[in-house]
Amino acid sequence: MAIGIYGLLTKHNLLKVLISVELIAMAASMNFVLLASAMNKALGEAFLMLAFSTDTCVTGIILALLVIVSKKYGTCDIRKLAKLEQYRAIENEAKGDNKIIEDDV
Amino acid sequence: MILELLAVGLVVSAFLAVYLDGAVYSVASLTCTFALTAILYSLNDATFVAVFQLAIGVGTLAVLFLSGEMLSEKPSGKKPLKNAFLAIAAALLLSVPSVFFSVGTIQTGASSEVSFPKALWNLRAIDVVLQGLVVMTVALGITIVLYGKKEGEA
Repeated sequence: MAIGIYGLLTKHNLLKVLISVELIAMAASMNFVLLASAMNKALGEAFLMLAFSTDTCVTGIILALLVIVSKKYGTCDIRKLAKLEQYRAIENEAKGDNKIIEDDV
Repeated sequence: MILELLAVGLVVSAFLAVYLDGAVYSVASLTCTFALTAILYSLNDATFVAVFQLAIGVGTLAVLFLSGEMLSEKPSGKKPLKNAFLAIAAALLLSVPSVFFSVGTIQTGASSEVSFPKALWNLRAIDVVLQGLVVMTVALGITIVLYGKKEGEA
């Protein structure tokens, strides 16, 4: 879990962020299973199955988003994507100002 | 001894999955982590869960990640080998507590054995809700992908 949190805080690639989230989820479910097997109860194993199936679907969705972002912007770096969005916002503002000027003219 | 080796292998592969630059290497390390976790589960008498972990974790996620890697940018330049050795040394250092320290479980007087099918039956309400959530998530994902495709065509 500590390794997953380290990756989440320090990595800028979306795929690495996803791997870190997966590690955190795996650590949490491992906790359930090992405690349950140590206490001779099967509840933890049942929890793992439920949590794992949900986690897999969420991972699939995040990967789908990653594919779309990669195709649209050509990058998976969070910092570059944030800058792209800033430039887009500035461009849209400028277009909005030009439109007002054109309307006035 | 085997458990200690497994613990060290788990920590090292998890660290390498986050640390390594290339997506393929990260995926390979993560696959290793999942496989070692499955072995750990089977050694702790959770065989069903180990098989489930292997089937879902190693197979499906490895395929998903590799397809994600095909569309992500390639890393520029190579890190020197010294950094890789330093990373492995750091991972081995991180795995020291898992070898030398152990968490003991408190055995209560009222511990009763609950079988796996009974546990699943007891949790059937949560199971239904979570499966519904899974189906909704899949539907949402397909919608997002199709919407993205439609925007691309437009």
